[in-house]
Amino acid sequence: MRLLLPGLVLGWLALAPGIAAEPESSGLGAVVIPQPNKPANASSCVEPVDIMRREHMNFLLHQRDETVLDGERDSKYSLVGCMDCHNPADGAESAIRYPDPEHFCAGCHLYASVNIDCFECHADRGLVQSQQSRLTPTLDTGLLSLQTFHRQLEQAHVE
Amino acid sequence: MSSEFDSIEVRPARRRFIQGAAALAVTLIAPGILLYRTGAASSGDSSGPRWGLLIDTNALSEADVDACVQACQREHGWSHNDDSPTDAQWIRKVHLSDERSGAQKVLPMMCQHCADPPCVYVCPTGASFKRADGIVLVNKHTCIGCRYCMMACPYKARSFIHEVLRDQLPVAPRGKGTVESCTLCVHRIDRDGADAVPACAEAVNRGASKAILFGDLNDHESEISQRLQRLGATRLRADLGVDPGVRYQGL
Repeated sequence: MRLLLPGLVLGWLALAPGIAAEPESSGLGAVVIPQPNKPANASSCVEPVDIMRREHMNFLLHQRDETVLDGERDSKYSLVGCMDCHNPADGAESAIRYPDPEHFCAGCHLYASVNIDCFECHADRGLVQSQQSRLTPTLDTGLLSLQTFHRQLEQAHVE
Repeated sequence: MSSEFDSIEVRPARRRFIQGAAALAVTLIAPGILLYRTGAASSGDSSGPRWGLLIDTNALSEADVDACVQACQREHGWSHNDDSPTDAQWIRKVHLSDERSGAQKVLPMMCQHCADPPCVYVCPTGASFKRADGIVLVNKHTCIGCRYCMMACPYKARSFIHEVLRDQLPVAPRGKGTVESCTLCVHRIDRDGADAVPACAEAVNRGASKAILFGDLNDHESEISQRLQRLGATRLRADLGVDPGVRYQGL
């Protein structure tokens, strides 16, 4: 048991160069590291990139309660602020949707196998104020609408 | 529908006298030990604003009320199909008629932002809550969709989202499995404070005539308090004692 940990470390040291040296184009086992696009119109994020990578979920979790409970909407850690910079959209059609790997958030989350439900409610793209009025939320057409389901039930009952 | 005038609300001078008297009484009973602060000071209701609406039903036509509903839909991105019993309805059009006189009224009904909200008392997770400034909201991060609040609300103001949505607006996150209702356009209030104008009011107010007046009910100098003191207003279902923040004139 006392030898297990050093053994593991030695084993890892022996294997690591092999893992690191594996070319990305070797087919099986190749992993493409996500390279999320940086916004064109901003010089820096609200925090240095390494801090954002590690802490963005904590910033957002803390900030959401301040916003909902206390009405603090000027925080720099705002999800709307993230989307305004990282996924701006001219309209519903041109927007990149969250599960799309091209989406700023989705690239890394897919890579790290992280499931989030932020975008089940929140807008997954930034919108300037004037464009808001043109959009209305729609039912997800990929699923059977509840109304259709009820009608089908009624029809089945009649038949 | 009973009526109650707001002009009987406690005047500041009288309130100060009563607080002073209470403090004196506490000091006399237990010198050096303050057992509790007076009710008005601890409730937080008198210190900050309490946002409310004053709706003048005489100044609202049916088309105006329709405009209110449509403005709310555009602002928050909900839609309501009359065929559907499950669609969201943050604000609805209500027809009232007096059988004797034949008088017809049409008024917009939304969350009344009660001072003693039944929806908050029944919520098992604390998701239904009242902000310090009197706005009653659903914290959808903690809402489990049990719909107790919908049962408790005497104004039928809340809706449940039954289906997966997409294309939500940034100011109004909405998602399946949670309850929602009028937020009094809280995103505008947080931005503009007392100068905020909710979307429904913006749709019907023309110039100086304000059919829907937004303001601070705790501030005795505000336009809404002045008008309440001068003209009075009706609290819908005042018999329930929930003290709604939305008041109606002309009923």
